[in-house]
Amino acid sequence: MFKFLRNKYFWAIILIVIASLSIMSMTTAPRQEVTVVENIIRDIYSPLQKCTGNIRGNWGGISYIFSNKRSLTERINTLEEKNKQLSLDNQLLREYQSEAKRLKKLLDFKEANIDKYTLLEAGVIARSPSNWYNTIVIDRGKNHGVYYGMPVITPEGLVGKVMQVNNTTAEVNLLTDREMAVGVILQRTRETNGLVEGLGDGNLLRMGNIPYYSSVEVNDRVITSGLSTTYPKGIDVGIVNKISREPSGLLLTAEVKPVVDFDRLEEVLVIIDYQPITDSDEVE
Amino acid sequence: MVRYVILALLPFLAIFFQSTLFSFYSIRGTIPDLVLMFVVFFALINGERRGTIYGFLCGLLEDLYMGRLIGLNALCKAIVGYSLGKMQGNVFKENMLVGVLGVLAGTIINSLVMLILIVLFSGAPAIENDFFVKVLFQCLYNLLLSVPVYFWFFNSSYNGVLKA
Repeated sequence: MFKFLRNKYFWAIILIVIASLSIMSMTTAPRQEVTVVENIIRDIYSPLQKCTGNIRGNWGGISYIFSNKRSLTERINTLEEKNKQLSLDNQLLREYQSEAKRLKKLLDFKEANIDKYTLLEAGVIARSPSNWYNTIVIDRGKNHGVYYGMPVITPEGLVGKVMQVNNTTAEVNLLTDREMAVGVILQRTRETNGLVEGLGDGNLLRMGNIPYYSSVEVNDRVITSGLSTTYPKGIDVGIVNKISREPSGLLLTAEVKPVVDFDRLEEVLVIIDYQPITDSDEVE
Repeated sequence: MVRYVILALLPFLAIFFQSTLFSFYSIRGTIPDLVLMFVVFFALINGERRGTIYGFLCGLLEDLYMGRLIGLNALCKAIVGYSLGKMQGNVFKENMLVGVLGVLAGTIINSLVMLILIVLFSGAPAIENDFFVKVLFQCLYNLLLSVPVYFWFFNSSYNGVLKA
């Protein structure tokens, strides 16, 4: 009856299952340091991926110019018009900015704007080879001063944070990854504190734990609250798409459409000198 | 010897293409699983013992590259290798449909085991994240690619570089 116990193959399978489950339980929590083996494997991949990234970038640019000459001319004209308008707006905003800075100084507020941080430009060279994770690989690593936990943004808004770092590359968890959560507020009211979570779906986020009396509305802009201490305050996250009531009736859930198009990320910016704000730094 | 080098290179190249080429040309955010495809074909041709080991090693490489929940893909692909390898003696491998249906079965087994393990280990509510839609699209993408890949894999296994 227990003849199978004498079978070497049976024990090999048991070993495979036990080994897999135990390594999994050891690697469940996010790790700041990767092992030597992982490092070697990624170092083998990174030059190949960088090379593909360059080819793709060059080829994409060339083919676009040839196939869309007319639409490009139209686009240039539209952008020039828009540029004029934005320059005017900018003048006005600069005035407001200096005024705000003066007032903040008067009130002794700590600055928490993203314009005071050092941004490191990085190119996206690869994405997650699995459908279960939403990550990107950037061509900047330890050698360029990138470390675990650094926030990653684009001019449009928040992208995610650095999760694993090699010498020359780093892996960034996108906001849409199901393991991500960001503390946010609504830009309009500045009162609803919530948590935006990734759904594992490429194009949507969920903002949960909103009190039923909150004044959240569709098309409200959601920005980082700075309370999660991982991200600076005031970075755009997304726009409220749909609001629904949770089964308990006491809380609301909002579907948030991210401002960043995660499918088309080609260049990102890593905030390399962000120090999380601790309670003692808060003046308010 | 050449056979083993190529068998080792296949998952390596598969991960490379999945992370670059296919990730930029995804269908509704879903990319194909070439590693799984190779495990399925290898198991169908070489049986459950070798299929399990090859699946485990390919999955482990994928896990080490991704660096999260190491062992997840290794176990899933070992199970796929074992299940598909069981069919080795009972199917006509010359028939292209065997490869295609094998990939379909492999994708479903792989996704289900992965879902169970992810929920068990990280506790994330993965099932609500349009899981079935994702699996459906991955099945379609895998099926599409399985025809040329099986054609090459089958021919190489009996008359080409992968011949034992």
